[in-house]
Amino acid sequence: MLKINEIHKSFGKNEILKGVDLTIDKGDVVVILGPSGSGKTTLLRCINFLEKADSGMATFGELQVNLHDASKKDIHTIRQKTAFVFQNYNLFNNKNALENVTEGLVIGRKIHKTKATDIGKKALDKVGLSDKYNSYPSQLSGGQQQRVGIARAVALNPDIILFDEPTSALDPELVGEVLTVMKNIANEGTTMLVVTHEMSFAKDVANRVIFMDGGVVVEEGTPHDIFISPKEERTKKFLKRVLPEDYTFYI
Amino acid sequence: MSEGLNYTFLIDTFFIALSGVPITLLVTVVALLIALPLGFLLALTRINQVPVLNWFSRIYVSFVRGTPIIIQIFIVYASVPLILSLFFERYNININVYDINPIWYAFIVFSFSTTAILIEVFRSALSTVNKGQLEAAQSVGLSNLQAYLRIVIPQALVVALPNICTATVNLIKATSLGYAMSLQEITLKAKVAANVGYNYVEAYIDIFLVYIILCSLVEYGFKLYEKRLRRYKYVSA
Ligand SMILES: Nc1ncnc2c1ncn2[C@@H]1O[C@H](COP(=O)(O)OP(=O)(O)OP(=O)(O)O)[C@@H](O)[C@H]1O
Ligand SMILES: [Mg+2]
Repeated sequence: MLKINEIHKSFGKNEILKGVDLTIDKGDVVVILGPSGSGKTTLLRCINFLEKADSGMATFGELQVNLHDASKKDIHTIRQKTAFVFQNYNLFNNKNALENVTEGLVIGRKIHKTKATDIGKKALDKVGLSDKYNSYPSQLSGGQQQRVGIARAVALNPDIILFDEPTSALDPELVGEVLTVMKNIANEGTTMLVVTHEMSFAKDVANRVIFMDGGVVVEEGTPHDIFISPKEERTKKFLKRVLPEDYTFYI
Repeated sequence: MSEGLNYTFLIDTFFIALSGVPITLLVTVVALLIALPLGFLLALTRINQVPVLNWFSRIYVSFVRGTPIIIQIFIVYASVPLILSLFFERYNININVYDINPIWYAFIVFSFSTTAILIEVFRSALSTVNKGQLEAAQSVGLSNLQAYLRIVIPQALVVALPNICTATVNLIKATSLGYAMSLQEITLKAKVAANVGYNYVEAYIDIFLVYIILCSLVEYGFKLYEKRLRRYKYVSA
């Protein structure tokens, strides 16, 4: 459904993405792991044109787009097919929770306001915020804000949702509620590409895990492949560092 | 002179000064109508580092900041008629430049100086809005223009409003310098009235009162508007 070929991206002299390929099928939950600075965020941002890649192709069903010089129209089309959940939530501060969710529907997708409100409320209900429709971001906890962020993405009914470390700005006790919501929408068949350091999520929810390092995909496979029998030395080293000593996987 | 204040004159002149308010307000409003959008656009060129325009705005701002308004008035009032008369002669347009109402010069000078101030006001206000706001708006399918109009500007405006208020009040006060080009505003009208009987103290008191009333009203209006705009902020948190 989504295919990325040979993305390259440099910031100044630093080449951050050195030819990344990626294939995602409908219903996939793909988790990207990798050390800090390996280019995970940059990869997601390039897919959503928040960053302009130096070269690379994206194939979205029938639509094939050059990631470097896509037309405004293509960018718009791709953004209609994708949604982004940000590490820092990035909720619209001047809008309440419901307006945050409906903004993209009414303005971005020209859906009638009454219908958008309906969709928006359902999305907020789904993430457990039925009582927070009218709250502004400044009145919500981090976990609640991120759940609004997820509702905002889900409401758009995109082909794929891109998550960039959705829980890493949260206090530890708030991580659970967000992961639960993500697990629920994954179980509904939502296609997701998730950058995270939550190994339990990768293990329990993902059907594919990609390990990135130094701007390339080092290894990819099922959670079992990656966690139990990684082939590459770099993957083993990384896992050893992020997994507790006595961590054992039962899949 | 030693009889103290001439109260009749004080009251009469108050209304004369008051009759200058429409001109003062007209100059203020026209200057703001030009300076608000222009200052905003030039602030954007600063923030987005647009080549050439970015440099232009910078030099413009430091030029205006580095010169007293009265000097700007002298420059415009002395040079624009010269340029215009050359232009009129050349194209055989039959207008006497000295018949031009000084209010046009006032529009030019005050738009010019207010724009520079608002460039800085908007620049700092826009920089307080996290880049993530724009990106989130883009990611849900808003165009750049929609994102600015609906998400970025409303937030920047809340931050900018107190400074826009200050700029407006300063502008109202600065229009009093318009008397230097015979602009029929508050100060000039009251001073002319005072010339007859040398009742300057009364006239100055009137001028003082009119400005203080005018500026207080404007400030009050801004406060109300600001309260409405910022209702989303720190509502309970
Ligand atoms: N706008 C930018 N300008 C310059 N350098 C950048 C920019 N964005 C990212 N980088 C650099 O690119 C590299 C990769 O960044 P990226 O955010 O993609 O890494 P990451 O894998 O998401 O890391 P983390 O796990 O810390 O989020 C980093 O070294 C970062 O400093
Ligand atoms: Mg990152």
